Amino acid sequence: MTTQVMAQRELQIRCEDDIVLVRQAVRVMAQQLGFDAFATAAVTTAASELARNVWTHAGGGSALLEEIRLAGRRGVRMHFRDQGPGIADLGRALAGGFSTARSLGLGLSGSKRLVDEFNVESTVGKGTVVVVAKWARFSSTTG
Amino acid sequence: MAVDYMSLLKLDERELAQRRAFFEITDEDLARVAKLRDFAARHGDAIVDDLYQLILGHADSRAFFADETMVRRVKSMQKQYFLGLFAGNCDLRYVQDRLRVGASHERIGLEPKWYLGAYGRYLRLLLDRLFTDFPAAEAQAAFRSLSKLVAFDTALAMDTYIAANLDTVARHQAAIRELSTPVIRVYDRVLLLPLVGTVDTHRAQQIMETLLLRTVEDQAKAIIVDIAGVPVVDTKVADHLLKTTAAVRMLGAVTIITGISAQVARTMVQLGVDLSSIETRARLADGIELALAKVGRVIAVKA
Ligand SMILES: Nc1ncnc2c1ncn2[C@@H]1O[C@H](COP(=O)(O)OP(=O)(O)OP(=O)(O)O)[C@@H](O)[C@H]1O
Ligand SMILES: [Mg+2]
Repeated sequence: MTTQVMAQRELQIRCEDDIVLVRQAVRVMAQQLGFDAFATAAVTTAASELARNVWTHAGGGSALLEEIRLAGRRGVRMHFRDQGPGIADLGRALAGGFSTARSLGLGLSGSKRLVDEFNVESTVGKGTVVVVAKWARFSSTTG
Repeated sequence: MAVDYMSLLKLDERELAQRRAFFEITDEDLARVAKLRDFAARHGDAIVDDLYQLILGHADSRAFFADETMVRRVKSMQKQYFLGLFAGNCDLRYVQDRLRVGASHERIGLEPKWYLGAYGRYLRLLLDRLFTDFPAAEAQAAFRSLSKLVAFDTALAMDTYIAANLDTVARHQAAIRELSTPVIRVYDRVLLLPLVGTVDTHRAQQIMETLLLRTVEDQAKAIIVDIAGVPVVDTKVADHLLKTTAAVRMLGAVTIITGISAQVARTMVQLGVDLSSIETRARLADGIELALAKVGRVIAVKA
């Protein structure tokens, strides 16, 4: 069985305010899909972290938001893409507590814990793509 | 409001060259319009009069011009503008001159539709007179060159409108930010900052500065920061809170974070953010009680 994409929306991340727009869109999507308050907070916060990384570390990029469905379960999938410097030491960046921006360095590792599926692909000098997904906790049977 | 549109629109030599290339304004075009100076002098007044017949003939566009004096003034400005078209140069000084025209329209609130409509008539008036005064081939060449300059000018005017609007939005945002950092003195040496909305980099910095200044001014001992109104508390917000708390501590005061919802608490733990160095309470009421205790006061039930 393959994951179906029911709807999608792409947002550009060009300035700090765009991060707010991305997470607002994610929150609305999660609520419409019937996410509970905890799951909504988790996916919205993950969106905030990953969109912020695109802006802070890569100077901009895009966020593709998808409503997905698999075997009656509904979820949100988000693709954060940038053509920034890439992540040289992915292992270290994912371990947590490492930051090249004198910040907490918990965005990437923390987001991973906030979602159900998490994947990073990064090439130094080319850019980074982070794809994450979160499923509604209680699958709704009707469309 | 003296906005520097030249720098706002990043109009330097490079940008100018790029614009000229895109609008296909060649030196030949400039030389051609320069040769039409006599033509311009001959028809200038009539064309400007005709233009204003359009503008003053419609109640809505007429409304922008208060009285006869103002009409006379803008007409003479318009005449200068018209003659400028035939100056035969398209350099930064020319651009600066054009921007002034756009800015003055924006300032009186004349919307782009009136401006563009009037520009259309400008072109038609020019076209008619060129074909009356010159042989067809010459008139057509002249009109082509002039229409490039007019398009160039129109783009500048539109850019001015947009830049002016963005500038207004930016100023409003600054005003809102200021409004949204109200530090309240709840009790002697106890301050409260209710945070509402997004905490972006700019605002975080402002919050920090405001809080530090007020802590010193009020000789505060306890500062309550209520985050119930912050929609998303991510690592960045947490980082700002930690840094602000550390700075406040240096001034001998404690920070108490209140208004932490169950969802925020859970998300913070999942993110791995350690807020244990900060005093936190779920409810503002509990935070106030704790703050009062820090200054040696208690809330008691009346006997
Ligand atoms: N899109 C990206 N492009 C390039 N480097 C990135 C990207 N995302 C993360 N990184 C690198 O991975 C490190 C860890 O990211 P993470 O989000 O965990 O921490 P941070 O952004 O530095 O701090 P914060 O805790 O505020 O998010 C960053 O410091 C940066 O070096
Ligand atoms: Mg980050």
